[in-house]
Amino acid sequence: MDRKLKIRLLRLTAPVGAVLFAVLLSSVFLIAIDKNPLTVYLTMLAFGLGRMDSIAAILFNATPLIFSGLAVAISFKAGMFNIGVEGQYFIGAVCAAWVGFAMPGLPAVVHIPLTLLAAMTGGMLWALVPVYLKVKRGVHEVISTIMLNYVAYSLVHYLIADLFMDHNQKIPEGLGSALIRTPKFLESAMMPTIHAFMALWGVELPGYIYVNWFLMLALVVAAGVGYLLNRTPLGYELRAVGHNPLSAEAAGIRTETVYIKTFLLSGAIAGLTGLSHLLVFYEYMDLDFPKNFGFNGIAVALIGGNHPMGIVLAALLFGFLSRGAEGVQTILGVPMDAVVIMQGIIILSVVVVAGILGRYLRRLEKKEAP
Amino acid sequence: METVLEFENVTKRFPGLVANDQVSFDVRRGEVHALVGENGAGKSTLVNMIAGLYRQDEGEIRLWGEPVSNGGPRGAIAQGVGMVHQHFMLIHRFNVVQNVILGFEESCSRFGCLDLRQAREMVEELCRCYDFRLNLSVPVGTLSVGQQQRVEILKSLYRGANLLILDEPTAVLTLQEVRALFENLRRLTAQGKTVIFISHKLDEVLNIADRVTVLRRGRVIATVNAMATDKKQLAEMMVGRPVLFQLDKPVSRPGETVLEMDQVVQGTDAGHHKLNRLTLTVRRGEIYGIAGVEGNGQRELVETIMGLMPYDSGDIKIQGRSNRGRSVRDIRAGGVAYIPDDRQQRGLSLAMTVWENAVLGLVRSDRYSRWWKLCTDRIRDFAARKVREFDIRLSSVELPIRSLSGGNQQKVILAREMSVDPELIIAAQPVRGLDIGAIEFVHRQLIAARTAGKAVLLVSADLEEVLSVADRVGILYNGAIVKEFIPGELETETIGEYMLGAGKEAAVWTES
Repeated sequence: MDRKLKIRLLRLTAPVGAVLFAVLLSSVFLIAIDKNPLTVYLTMLAFGLGRMDSIAAILFNATPLIFSGLAVAISFKAGMFNIGVEGQYFIGAVCAAWVGFAMPGLPAVVHIPLTLLAAMTGGMLWALVPVYLKVKRGVHEVISTIMLNYVAYSLVHYLIADLFMDHNQKIPEGLGSALIRTPKFLESAMMPTIHAFMALWGVELPGYIYVNWFLMLALVVAAGVGYLLNRTPLGYELRAVGHNPLSAEAAGIRTETVYIKTFLLSGAIAGLTGLSHLLVFYEYMDLDFPKNFGFNGIAVALIGGNHPMGIVLAALLFGFLSRGAEGVQTILGVPMDAVVIMQGIIILSVVVVAGILGRYLRRLEKKEAP
Repeated sequence: METVLEFENVTKRFPGLVANDQVSFDVRRGEVHALVGENGAGKSTLVNMIAGLYRQDEGEIRLWGEPVSNGGPRGAIAQGVGMVHQHFMLIHRFNVVQNVILGFEESCSRFGCLDLRQAREMVEELCRCYDFRLNLSVPVGTLSVGQQQRVEILKSLYRGANLLILDEPTAVLTLQEVRALFENLRRLTAQGKTVIFISHKLDEVLNIADRVTVLRRGRVIATVNAMATDKKQLAEMMVGRPVLFQLDKPVSRPGETVLEMDQVVQGTDAGHHKLNRLTLTVRRGEIYGIAGVEGNGQRELVETIMGLMPYDSGDIKIQGRSNRGRSVRDIRAGGVAYIPDDRQQRGLSLAMTVWENAVLGLVRSDRYSRWWKLCTDRIRDFAARKVREFDIRLSSVELPIRSLSGGNQQKVILAREMSVDPELIIAAQPVRGLDIGAIEFVHRQLIAARTAGKAVLLVSADLEEVLSVADRVGILYNGAIVKEFIPGELETETIGEYMLGAGKEAAVWTES
């Protein structure tokens, strides 16, 4: 068999193999809680892929994970581990929220891009601190970004509960107290869903699933990241620094500049993560704003092999798993945690398979050379 | 004499190439048998088959008359084969005894508990037996490279090796350490051990070996008695054509100064500077060679010139402009090319492809990119052209450069660095680990550059190389140029004394 084809094929099939292996292993847990794994998986598939609202939900679930996965991957390509996507998207979201409620009178074509810009700026600002500390003071970015995540949570809570708190809520006389939330976003800041657009193609999406244009934006960003990495001087330098900073430095690449640019870019993409929920589904930001997209982004980047296409697929897989989990919980009474276990096992088996495969591929490539 | 190892028509194929083709030779008990050949001649494949890492496709390998077991490396060890790799496999924090017994602790444990005293006695006994001088209780990391190598040999002996394979054992050693190694090897063979010695350095091979087997492109060209051959004949057999050891070198016509280092002081380590008021000038049209024992400031010298390392005082001027505070990119843009001593760490990005490495650091030039777009087709064309021009052996420029041999990797660096048409070439250990053909190639390139009016600074641990290639030589000792001369002006013995601090601290060195 042609060796190059074999190498490429192995690279592609490895994650699939890892997922199948994880499915097998998860069966043990399902049997342990006295459920028939086959039934569970079939139900997951039937519920997750057999209904239009499930498809839409998967797309909606995947949207933030594509952003956060890309943010993690791009920093990883430059040899950095951005654990701070979590905090960066929180800050990005709160910035977007502020633009969303505080700027009346703007047309949507200005207001929506402005919220995106605010979110990216917020994410970038939150990424600036760790990368500055890394370049100037040698502080490892893993430590500083983890810590800043908690600062971000608290800061956002403070902003929601105090500075941005909506004090003009109309509460019916004698019925409870005001919600802790920002003012409602202006209509002009809300991102439309893609329902009308899809209807043009004859696809009727259910109105209660909010799959929206951020999905399209995520795909565009994924393509952009792919182009950046492989087709631009910055992407080239980024990979060179990621693979071997010593040789990059000796060759005259300004490694510090590359670190800063990459991390800011990572932060900017991270900033967009929460918007698909914030500006479509919620009409204000409150303490229930969803967490963990940043952390799940790490897993998505890992399973997607830090490749933009792989990340989109991995995000869809995660979207499918959580939709499927809802299905089996409702239909079969399997707790959602079983699916969380499965996610964990998938991540582990991907790591193991990648390790084994990497060594094997290196051997193949070695043999290729004379 | 008793035959220890026998190869009979052994063939080993890898997809796309025949690494060993009908190889037959034998190794006799008590001899030092040298294997020589260029990179890619099949030496490593051959010894890896002896060491149990590969299996032959055809033919038979016999150890002490028995076919080699297929028990892998463990099986080979059980049959008495000991391998000393070029890169040592030692744990720096462990002391000598702990390193020696590592992996074979059962031999000195009682009821599952390690008996370190017994282990120590066993290792001491070995040292006595072969007259190895080593301090057994210090961490291995504190030993010199030569001593670490001795630990590696001890490890093999401890495992009961009767056939020792040494892969390029002298590549990392100083002259004195090589002498000590050879003494040890002679003592081993005198007591009936057998040694297979792999090297490119023909002088050493002729010095230590009893017989020499020459490999070329996977075939055995001949096995000859070391007494009955000479360097020229061996080199010719290896390369397949006559080799000129005298480099064809037109007269140097030095012009204006390109590099000027004035009283440069860099770094303080335990009270003394890495570079200690170092002063030198390199002119257009000359190769300035730096001779000296490694660790006397060679790395600091080149890295301060390149802007990779800051310096404390003094000044470095390149074409009249100080390099203080300038970035590496800026210094390179001023016409400086750099061939780093550690090509895998400093020179290349091993995981990236050959074509990507061919333009490392150059993609911002408008030859290879247009603002935001990388001209990948143009870069690939460039790489393919350089592959032809520099005769780089590979099957595709799309492969990671990791998969190339050292010589071919170095050629990629050379091609890249020469492509910017530099005024000053900083070449640090440019031929380390390369074979004769590649060495000749690199040297010819450097000489051609200097004849074309470039300035070249050549730093090398190999005195012979410096003396044959350079037009002017400075001896680096303790971070300063202690003597400057023109090759031929000084006796080798005198140079050696300067390299060791003009006799002052020579005693320290012979100690190790």
